[in-house]
Amino acid sequence: MRKKFVLPVVLATIGALLLVASAFAGVSGSTGTNGAVAKKGGTLKVNLSNNDFEFTDPGLAYDTLSWSMLYTTNINLVNYPEKNGQEGGQLYPEGATAFPLVSKDGKTYTFTVRPGLKFSDGTAVTAAAYKRAIERNISPQMGSPVGVNIQFQKVVAGGEDFLAGKTQSISGLSANGQKLTIKLVKPNATLVSIMAMQWFGAIKPNTPYNKGGVVTHPSAGPYYIKSWDVGKSLVEVRNPYYKGTRPANPDQIVFTANTDSDQTLLQVKAGQVDVDAAGPPPTANAALGAQYGINKKQFYVGPTTCILYFALNTSRAPFSNIAARKAAEWGLDRPAITRTLGKYAGKRSDQILVPGVPGFVDYHLYAIKGADVAKAKKIGGSALKGTVTVMHSGSPASIAAGQITAYNLKQMGFDTKDKLVPGSIYYKTLGTKGLDFDIARAGWCADYYDPFDFINVNFDGRSIQDANNVNFAYYNNATLNAAMDKAANLAGAARSKAYAALDLSIMKNYAPWVPYSSLNDVFFTSARVSNWVYSSYFGEPDFNALAVG
Amino acid sequence: MFPFLVRRILWAIALFLATTVITYLIFFIIPADPAALACGKACTPADVARVKHSLGLDLPVYQQYWNYLVRLLHGNLGTSFVNRQSVNHIIGSTAPVTASLVFGGAIFWLLLSIPLGVYSALHPRSVGDRAGMTFVLFGISAHPVWIGLILSYIFGYVLRNFVIHTPIAGYCEAISPPFGSSCGGPVQWAYHLILPWTTFMVLFAALYVRLVRANVMETLTEDFVRTARAKGAGESRVMVQHVLRNSLLPVVTILGMDIGLALGGAIFTESIFGLPGLGRRVLTAYNQNDLPVILGVVVFATVAVIIFNLVVDMLYAVIDPRIRLA
Repeated sequence: MRKKFVLPVVLATIGALLLVASAFAGVSGSTGTNGAVAKKGGTLKVNLSNNDFEFTDPGLAYDTLSWSMLYTTNINLVNYPEKNGQEGGQLYPEGATAFPLVSKDGKTYTFTVRPGLKFSDGTAVTAAAYKRAIERNISPQMGSPVGVNIQFQKVVAGGEDFLAGKTQSISGLSANGQKLTIKLVKPNATLVSIMAMQWFGAIKPNTPYNKGGVVTHPSAGPYYIKSWDVGKSLVEVRNPYYKGTRPANPDQIVFTANTDSDQTLLQVKAGQVDVDAAGPPPTANAALGAQYGINKKQFYVGPTTCILYFALNTSRAPFSNIAARKAAEWGLDRPAITRTLGKYAGKRSDQILVPGVPGFVDYHLYAIKGADVAKAKKIGGSALKGTVTVMHSGSPASIAAGQITAYNLKQMGFDTKDKLVPGSIYYKTLGTKGLDFDIARAGWCADYYDPFDFINVNFDGRSIQDANNVNFAYYNNATLNAAMDKAANLAGAARSKAYAALDLSIMKNYAPWVPYSSLNDVFFTSARVSNWVYSSYFGEPDFNALAVG
Repeated sequence: MFPFLVRRILWAIALFLATTVITYLIFFIIPADPAALACGKACTPADVARVKHSLGLDLPVYQQYWNYLVRLLHGNLGTSFVNRQSVNHIIGSTAPVTASLVFGGAIFWLLLSIPLGVYSALHPRSVGDRAGMTFVLFGISAHPVWIGLILSYIFGYVLRNFVIHTPIAGYCEAISPPFGSSCGGPVQWAYHLILPWTTFMVLFAALYVRLVRANVMETLTEDFVRTARAKGAGESRVMVQHVLRNSLLPVVTILGMDIGLALGGAIFTESIFGLPGLGRRVLTAYNQNDLPVILGVVVFATVAVIIFNLVVDMLYAVIDPRIRLA
């Protein structure tokens, strides 16, 4: 009983606090690195080197690039503000008037949609727009990644029947005017964070189900998509009906797809392009940093939600032995492996959570400044024998990281065998249970700002299946599973505290990963770009906030 | 002539089928599961099965191939696994870019290589000949990526404030540029293709200079050339009607094959200059295991090569009666 009462109260309190914070966020508008008032106007020219948007349909898009673009066109019930640093990771109610009201049992969430919002065609945004977004995400007629990636059909009541085609509507979902009610199968403290994902942006209630996705559609955010020529360019222009507080500084934003990063660097230097969404070539980072300084003008470095690590295969020797795993924590040279990414591209790490995610506490458990082979040998003892298969992909950074790791493992007393798997099939191969490997280079980027998406998703051993795993350490521990379940049911400060403890406990007691770097993103802009605002969540600048006028 | 044509068309169909079968089989031999890739993180077997069904990958390979051929007969190249766009649309929007590059490049390399080859043949071991051979050595040795980067750095970046400069990279539509495009029209189209054409043609021009030079030198020693001169024909008439006509016969043949080969070489140039063409698109599709797009481009390229070769064969048969008789 007590638990049932505490959860909604905690959520409501957090909501109120975030609301207050959001009020400040809202009135201050966009503040870039220099804090000056941003100029409006002009065309922001963005190159997408070696990349393109997969979809512009919010129900289908599932890559950070598409999401960073949709962020400028969508209005979500809750959203992240255009703020640099930690402030940019604090949710605020955007399309909703406030954070949701949560029922006593924690299973019913009621949002009130902010009145006065309009799509780019002038029609009003009501709760039906958000209901439609959820329906499109789960509908079998869409084939959306939502259901399969965060299993959202299992979160909302009636979702599974709807996905299976047994029902025509989702029983746990109702929209009445500006009121949106979501009934859950069981309490889920991540729901508010999930609603900030771009899949859940308002979409016109008459938007059809379409497996190919809608290309240009009315949207309610600061911009709307005017045209998309797949593989070539996408153009956004200001939504004339947008009256919110979010910045809409350029008149239009033009994305050019599949450019070359070296050529784009020259174009940015020449002022012909404003920024490359893929960043400059890593080999240029050092010179650009020396010339422009970091986060002062034109050259910017910001953290992401991604952690890079080596997964230790706990399902077989030698890393089924905790002593061997802890020895690897001391024996691998984190700074050297991080340097393979290029200057400024990562920050050494020895833990699972990354800065900015609730629950992150900067522990220094292991050899963060370099390999301590003597200590590794002492801890590993007799467990450090046999041949270790080192798996990595074919990218230059991955090959170099694999070579350094093999060298470190040899120093510790192992023999090593190299296993290179092409990048296009790397994670599918690594996710196959029983694969021949002992240590594998991997990375994880969170889908939403919650420690659940790092800890539970990667270490819940009950989710291990024959293929398509993400628990690459193949670690399954009943005690840990129970602790993760407990943390998942908490909210607010208690949740952050529990996950901070879990982060420490997993690395200290079980050590299934050797995390080595929390990833940074690096950007270089033309001289005319001001008001730099970077989103750690998307790993991209907030394009709508950049000023070129 | 008619039996010759029928024979060539039958061979073309067999070649086309063989190409599609091999591409299809290679894709299924690669241990990549497009359904699992499309499914995303942590899919359950049920999720993967659903995506497989949605993509039509739950059928036996031979049935998938048969369905593909049936769709092909209806002019449908399928739908991309990755962005679910029609492959017909993808090919339709990218092929003109590649065609711009390849045909423009071919015109450039012919315009350069024929005069240079003839000059070298007529003035062997002269300064001009040696300069031509140096160009040949450079063109064959230097990689298009390096050439493209150097050219765009010099003419696009270093000289950007001078009268003689080019765009660093990018493409402009010659007809109906899309909304928001910073350039468009035939002049801008050609202006943006100057460096790609130059980069693209260097290798082929180098090869063709050598080819033309050798052929002209060989033809100059033929009896019919001596006879023509003995009969009092002027030097220009000898060159144009006797020497060049015979020397350029192999060039016509090679050109047909090289246009097909050039489709592959276009990948480098398109990548460097950010040209949204077929080469660039197939490279992306390869990295994403996007079979329908890969197959679509392969089918398109195969048909293009077959047609070019067919046309060349027919031309050759018209020009040289010995081919018909064979």
